Amino acid sequence: MELEVRGLTKSFGQVTAVRDVSFTVRAGTVTGFLGPNGSGKTTTLRMVLGLVRPTAGQVLIGGVPYERLTRPRTCVGALLEATGFHPGRRARDHLRVLAAAGRIPDDRVEEVLSQVQLTRDAGRRVREFSLGMRQRLGIAAALLGDPQVLLLDEPANGLDPAGAAWLRGLLRAQAGEGRTVLVASHVLGEIAQTVDHVVIVSAGQLRFAGPLSEIGDTNAALESAFLSLTTTP
Amino acid sequence: MPAHHSEASVLPMIRSEFRKITTVRSPWLLLAAGPLIVVAGITGLVESGGNVHDPALQGQAYAHVGLAAICTLIFGILAVAGEYRHATITDTYLSCPRRRRVVTAKLAVYGLTGAAAGLVSSLVAIAVTAAWWSARGGAFHLSATGAWVTLAGGVAANLAFAAIGVGLGALIRNPVAAIASALAWIALVEGIAGQLVGAGLARWLPFYASEALDRASLRAATRLLPQWGGGLVLAGYAGVFAAAALISTLRRDVT
Repeated sequence: MELEVRGLTKSFGQVTAVRDVSFTVRAGTVTGFLGPNGSGKTTTLRMVLGLVRPTAGQVLIGGVPYERLTRPRTCVGALLEATGFHPGRRARDHLRVLAAAGRIPDDRVEEVLSQVQLTRDAGRRVREFSLGMRQRLGIAAALLGDPQVLLLDEPANGLDPAGAAWLRGLLRAQAGEGRTVLVASHVLGEIAQTVDHVVIVSAGQLRFAGPLSEIGDTNAALESAFLSLTTTP
Repeated sequence: MPAHHSEASVLPMIRSEFRKITTVRSPWLLLAAGPLIVVAGITGLVESGGNVHDPALQGQAYAHVGLAAICTLIFGILAVAGEYRHATITDTYLSCPRRRRVVTAKLAVYGLTGAAAGLVSSLVAIAVTAAWWSARGGAFHLSATGAWVTLAGGVAANLAFAAIGVGLGALIRNPVAAIASALAWIALVEGIAGQLVGAGLARWLPFYASEALDRASLRAATRLLPQWGGGLVLAGYAGVFAAAALISTLRRDVT
């Protein structure tokens, strides 16, 4: 399932956060979505997911806007930075709330809990969770509907080195199964080891979209390309 | 799109909303406060010299069920405003990007739960009243004058205020601000507004209407609408708040 961003623009009053951004994310790839803080990454992801209404342009997921997907969680799994948890709700219950809304069988809750290695802590309230555990719970929520498209905003946040390695393996495996994976990050080191395509935005505009090999796949090459592409002339 | 399709699709959100309220403690603590208000209110009525031989006193005791609706009002406010507070609204809209269904499911679940809370408060009111009447040697009758209509009005008020709360919380998404506004309206604003516009118009205001619905027996009935009129006016307010919640929710950016 392909993700197609077409001429996306978003203005908040006088400020244009995203300006005429277009790119395509192909199935079977892990695509890095890079840009400095405040470059419009999060706003773009929110427009992809129908949470923010574009001023112009549109996003198609397998040819359909998010709002028109019949069972969105089975098509797209998303982890957003500002996604929250009720602190008094147990981790398993959090996922069961989402499963009911997405018409996903409750058995799937146990599967994703085990996939993110939270089975043992699933009966604890989220207020007792560390940042890394919350991040794993968010990833479990994204995986819940076994979606064809994964959109993850800074997924390595709060994960320890072992967790980060686990995440890289997960993303590669998802792409290997033919799924579409888009990972937004400003941590370049994470990206170079995981992605095969990159989309770079800066000041709300697209600077580059294409295979990582066109930039160079070492950390140093990526860093210098990133800095030259994102420095405002 | 055929109507049966949209109905089928609101059901998963209804299940999800029930799971939300059954998996945290705060709604139950809040709703448990309703029957406590009833117990305290009826006890106060009897202890402050209420005459248990007066046939009208039983209706006055039951009128406390309507006062417990303040709990379902706050309960309703937290339906949407609470989701903004904990930023769970994002996941809710990801599950169901057709936001009309989200608001519809919340109105249904919170309205039903509010009505159920009103029923529990009614049972508690009957039990506590019977206990006090028996302790003070009064003649308790299940079908005393105005008893059933007062209880029915109380349950309806618990339902209507839950729905009004859902709308209010969708309009004012900060839960503290929404609850403070609601309490200020009850304690202060409506009383002043009522005096400014005069009794003829004041009886159309929401809490005067709810008085007509659930505790007419505590007031001189001439100043209020008839019970059915109070119910209709309150249902109208619930409808207006629900519509405002829908309109303001549909296009709003969730950042």
